[in-house]
Amino acid sequence: MRGEGARLARFSVIGIGNVLEGDDAIGPTVVRVFESRYAAGDDVAVVDGGTPGLDLTAYMMGLEGLVVVDAIKTRTGTAGEVKVYDKKGILNRGPMVAMSPHEPGLRESILHAEFQGVSPPVINLVGVVAGSIEFGCRLTPQVRGAIDGAVEAVRAALQGMGVATVKRDPPLPPDLWWERPQHLPT
Amino acid sequence: MSQRITIDPITRIEGHLRIDLEVDGGRVSKAWSSGTMWRGIETILQGRDPRDAWAFTQRICGVCTTVHAITSVRSVENALGLEVPLNAQLIRNIIISAHALHDHVVHFYHLSALDWVDVVAALKADPAKASALAESISSWPGNSTKELAAVKARLAGFVAAGQLGPFQNGYWGHPAMRLPPEVNLLAVAHYLQALEIQRKANQIVAILGSKTPHIQNLAVGGVANAINLDSPSALNMEKLYKVKDLLDEVSGFVTQCYLVDVAAVAGFYPEWFKYGAGVTNYLAVPDLPIDAKMTRFDLPGGVIMAGQAGVRKIENWNDAFLKANVTESIAHSHYDGDWQRGPWEEETVPKFTGEWKAETAAPQKYSWVKAPRLDGKPMQVGPLAQVLVGFLTNDPLTVKWVSAAISTVKAIHKIDVTPAMLHSTLGRHAARAIRTAMMSELTLKHWKMLVENIGKGDTSIFVDPMPKLQSGSYRGVGFHEAPRGTLSHWCVIENGKIKNYQCVVPSTWNAGPRDGHDQPGPYEAALVGNPIADPKLPLEALRTIHSFDPCLACAIHTHDADGTEHGMVKVL
Repeated sequence: MRGEGARLARFSVIGIGNVLEGDDAIGPTVVRVFESRYAAGDDVAVVDGGTPGLDLTAYMMGLEGLVVVDAIKTRTGTAGEVKVYDKKGILNRGPMVAMSPHEPGLRESILHAEFQGVSPPVINLVGVVAGSIEFGCRLTPQVRGAIDGAVEAVRAALQGMGVATVKRDPPLPPDLWWERPQHLPT
Repeated sequence: MSQRITIDPITRIEGHLRIDLEVDGGRVSKAWSSGTMWRGIETILQGRDPRDAWAFTQRICGVCTTVHAITSVRSVENALGLEVPLNAQLIRNIIISAHALHDHVVHFYHLSALDWVDVVAALKADPAKASALAESISSWPGNSTKELAAVKARLAGFVAAGQLGPFQNGYWGHPAMRLPPEVNLLAVAHYLQALEIQRKANQIVAILGSKTPHIQNLAVGGVANAINLDSPSALNMEKLYKVKDLLDEVSGFVTQCYLVDVAAVAGFYPEWFKYGAGVTNYLAVPDLPIDAKMTRFDLPGGVIMAGQAGVRKIENWNDAFLKANVTESIAHSHYDGDWQRGPWEEETVPKFTGEWKAETAAPQKYSWVKAPRLDGKPMQVGPLAQVLVGFLTNDPLTVKWVSAAISTVKAIHKIDVTPAMLHSTLGRHAARAIRTAMMSELTLKHWKMLVENIGKGDTSIFVDPMPKLQSGSYRGVGFHEAPRGTLSHWCVIENGKIKNYQCVVPSTWNAGPRDGHDQPGPYEAALVGNPIADPKLPLEALRTIHSFDPCLACAIHTHDADGTEHGMVKVL
């Protein structure tokens, strides 16, 4: 995950969600697992975005392509289902990215970027249907089981934007620090 | 006949806040503020290493990440009685201040300006006239006729396509909207420029904090920014000068654009200096420490009671009165029992007694927010509290920018604003702009202090908390004068582990419900007496609530009740 260098990136993968709220952690989890399994070029910023609200606009300004990973709620979906939406689908209301306090966020952030003329031309939302968003640092088994599929959906979305990724062999351990019970290395 | 209005949720930022109003004869007669989610950070932190707490508290709220991180390390440092190296204090101060600059600019232009600005009416503006108006009152370079004409054209394109985009929830054409078309156009132009400016303020946080939105450079005992002016991987001259360049740009916008816009808009709505005072007890804590022992601060703290001129000063973070007299009441909150306790003694046992049903009287327990009190009194916190404390104690920087704001209103509108008028809905906006100007000056000052201190050869950034932490019992509190006001994290540590941890956040002070003596909280009190022209579109209530800058994900000790309803304005 890069910080200050991220603004030089042309593409970004942003995980949205609160790691303290059960399945809402799926966005940050997926981007961290993605980064541990795949190397993307210097022009791809992988960001654990937390629940940035409107600040999300700043993270998408001027990008050529954006992949957002978030917990979603759909009328028909079951927990752990992975669904991919394009920009039109997101702006057409479509899924309610509405589980937690960071909503309204994604749609409004894109609309702000559109109005300013700096919205990424291509945006994909990799949504994972959440089960429980009870307070606490754990995913439900159904949503944990969706990590592999969501990571592959992120890779495919990047590929669709013409961005190549290289599989790490062996993969790095993903930095899911909030799931660890004890002291974090500094 | 009295009418009941429910606004649920009201905030455009994070969190769920519900406001219930009783309107009688076109004015609010009673108001209730309730948070509809709950959060118990202590259930996650109990038993953990206190050195890790900040990484978790940083996730309480996605917008206020930095403030909860800083306050947490301060809390543990206070418990252990640590001194934190000057470099670390200054680096933290610059991060805090840059975050505040970002947050205040976003609040005005992106979250609350729509309460005053009619975006659609900007289409009637003459860009040349707007430019001439702006250039008569400000040297900001973004006000050329060409720039304003381009903004108008872009807006026209969106409206023609039937897409109001981010503005679609505005109250266009509401009778309470009163800006001339040219001022509306200037506001839209500055809204766009503010998007870029807030990003620059955030870049400062990213450079020093090594990442945003979650900074990585903190540690209990200091910071992790290795200082080496010649090393590309450390905090070096190049990074420091990048920070300075960004800061100069942000500062220019704040003083030449934000402060001027607030003065310009305020002068068209002078009656809003009369509404919205509510609770006139104020609390602000000192912040921006300038020594390792934390005895001297650049932002003054103090307590004002009942709008009086006398200020009880808070000199530092070990103020005995403050530590002993902050309590929280759960008389009207969804927790088990009916107590009023200090945060170190609190427990959080939720007990939900049911939703407030439409068209019924307020139930005994109606909010997930607790009601914090100081010495038994509700307190208003936020930029207004801080500016009033500074002004009444003759803090030179505060006095300078209060005077600048007053003379700007006078120059534009030929009306006299007095400091007493700050106790109001518009006063909160004015105070926020004043504070932002102060912060931009102080950030620059602290940048210079940091560069000078490093120049003296001091590269120290950290003291190890472990010798003290590994055994013994400690209680501590970390204070921060955050963008929304006084924030405190209270911790109890036993043998190197967290035993209790409570956050008393600014929006809890302001948005909290009534207490055991039925004293209303600041939101509730500030709404009473507000006019409501159209109960179906209670824009006036939104103005008062937004002037507090609500951020409810932080305010509430917790989580979503149903989470699916949005932007509802119910008229009951």
